[in-house]
Amino acid sequence: MSEAVSRLVTGGGRRWLVPLAWSSLLLAACVGMPWLEGLFRLVEPDSRSVVYARADFLTLLGRHLLVVAVAALAAVAIGVGAAVAVTRRAGRDFLPLVAQLASIGQTFPPVAVLALAVPVLGFGTLPIIVALLLYGLLPIVRNTLTGLEGVDPGVREAARGMGMTGGQLLRQVELPLAAPVILAGIRTSVTINIATAAIGATVGASNLGDPIISGIVNGNTAYVLQGALLIGLLALTVDSVFARLQPAAA
Amino acid sequence: MRASRESESGSSDTEERSKGGVNAEVVNKEVINKEAVNRDSPRPNVVLVSLLLATLVAWSGLDAVSVAPNRIVPGQGHAAWDVAGWPGFLLSLVPMLAVLALAWRPDRRRLRWALGLAVAMLAALPAWLALASARLVDADLPQARMGVGAGVWVALFLLLLALIELRTRLALPRTLGWSLLLVPLASLAAWLTFGLAPLALRQEFLTRRDGFIAAIVEHLLLVGAAVGVSLVLGVLLALAMRRWARCRTLGFAVLNFLQTIPSLALFGLLLAPLAWLGAHVEWLAALGVSGIGAAPALLALVGYSLLPMVRNTFVALDEVDPGVIDAARGMGMSRGQVFRQVRLPLAAPVILEGIRITTVQAIGLTAVAALIGAGGLGTFIFQGLGQAAMDMVLLGALPILVMALIADALLGALTDLTRQGEAT
Repeated sequence: MSEAVSRLVTGGGRRWLVPLAWSSLLLAACVGMPWLEGLFRLVEPDSRSVVYARADFLTLLGRHLLVVAVAALAAVAIGVGAAVAVTRRAGRDFLPLVAQLASIGQTFPPVAVLALAVPVLGFGTLPIIVALLLYGLLPIVRNTLTGLEGVDPGVREAARGMGMTGGQLLRQVELPLAAPVILAGIRTSVTINIATAAIGATVGASNLGDPIISGIVNGNTAYVLQGALLIGLLALTVDSVFARLQPAAA
Repeated sequence: MRASRESESGSSDTEERSKGGVNAEVVNKEVINKEAVNRDSPRPNVVLVSLLLATLVAWSGLDAVSVAPNRIVPGQGHAAWDVAGWPGFLLSLVPMLAVLALAWRPDRRRLRWALGLAVAMLAALPAWLALASARLVDADLPQARMGVGAGVWVALFLLLLALIELRTRLALPRTLGWSLLLVPLASLAAWLTFGLAPLALRQEFLTRRDGFIAAIVEHLLLVGAAVGVSLVLGVLLALAMRRWARCRTLGFAVLNFLQTIPSLALFGLLLAPLAWLGAHVEWLAALGVSGIGAAPALLALVGYSLLPMVRNTFVALDEVDPGVIDAARGMGMSRGQVFRQVRLPLAAPVILEGIRITTVQAIGLTAVAALIGAGGLGTFIFQGLGQAAMDMVLLGALPILVMALIADALLGALTDLTRQGEAT
């Protein structure tokens, strides 16, 4: 932890300036929204309340992040695991099917997946996590496959020649070489999931999509703007973090 | 959204797609070679065996259908042996066991048989539902509805996977694979016309037939308009970017930024300014501009569509071999001729690829646009979710899924076609 902090302060710290700026803006917007009441009053002069008050913005942000993070972590574990499994000798038989499934599955619109998950899983937070997890798997599996298949066979040969076992080869050679592509897949997956989780507010998950949906239903543009602003900032924050991680891994 | 990231992974969507195909073919060849070497004892096809075992478990363990006396009451589940009695249930297991046996010692002939059986099983699913509706739904209750149960859904999904696997193993062309699906679809259409009156999805459709067709038209119009506008704008932008380097950096930065913003947020952010414009600028209001409706939806859709369109057009025009251009100029072609007769045709496949990504993406995003009153099939999804009417959700979601798959397949085939034309 302290090492990470010191690295942040010195040397590479400046690279984290952009994500830091976005995240402080996001937090400031969450905390300071009530002070902008006058501004929102301009948009919505006739409404009784112009700042969404049914739940605290920080709580909504926390729930949004939690849903996305749980789904993303599970999707990374399962997705990378599955892609590694089908590129080993024992699982090689499954490779064509998994590769095709990951590619066909990505044509499914996320909204349709979310909608189809509800009849099966019901309303609430858990169905959304499952739907996000299932959909988020696809780009991760696909990119991990691309990354692992892209490793130069010569490199693999050389590592074997040095006496590496299969596990060592995977951990020390294949995964590090494939890391940038895998990370790009995770980035796609998380970006889509942040957007889809917001739509999840229509199926009973309480998160930053709530103010938007409630604003649309009640015709309160101010609510809509608040939710949209925060989701936009959240997406930009997370994306900037990935943008920083990516060249570091390359 | 998904498209923007793929470029940063260092390989465009095109490459990844073809790569998946190549993998499959390489593996395929290995398997075929192996089979040729020891024809007497081929290895079991583990994939098919596990898929069929899973189908068997789901078929026997999960509910086949659920029946409810009316729309409000939750349905009661019925297992597969309720549908056809024990003899009928055991009979329904026979084709699955047959495929299992064929997959245990696979060769080309046996796999062909398995493929035939899989298609037949898919085609028999609607008949199975018709049997269930005849035996389990009380004919005296006109309001009674039958929902498709998890067992049948899972079996459908797993059999489709088996079909994909068989298509890959047999190295059948993509178009043939798609046309195999026509058999089960024809069967479904026939049964829907004659036998499946209590099917909940069908009843839901019948009660809103006009609305449904209007929604599909709206959906397609919005997608078509978004793709059309972004194609024109995208090509112009890509041309501008090729000419001015500064335009390129700025353009891609703005478009990448747009793609990062979640759709719901972008629709929301457009709501306020457009509502203001609609209220204060008369000629815009006359054009139908307002915060709610098709105008903000179209604007946001075009915004999202521009990135894949511009990127693919830009890359396509940029990647044309300079030697070819030189040769064309050497032949005395003018600049305009070179562009129209050489550069554009050579770039066409990658531009089409961009149109494919854009269209599929727009079909999904238009569903979200229903939230701001743009109409389309998303209306059914969100209304259904609001009323907890799951059949209505399906009525919206399934056509969207089908539309996305068809658009992907058609435009993919068109891309392949232009590529082939290029090769010959």
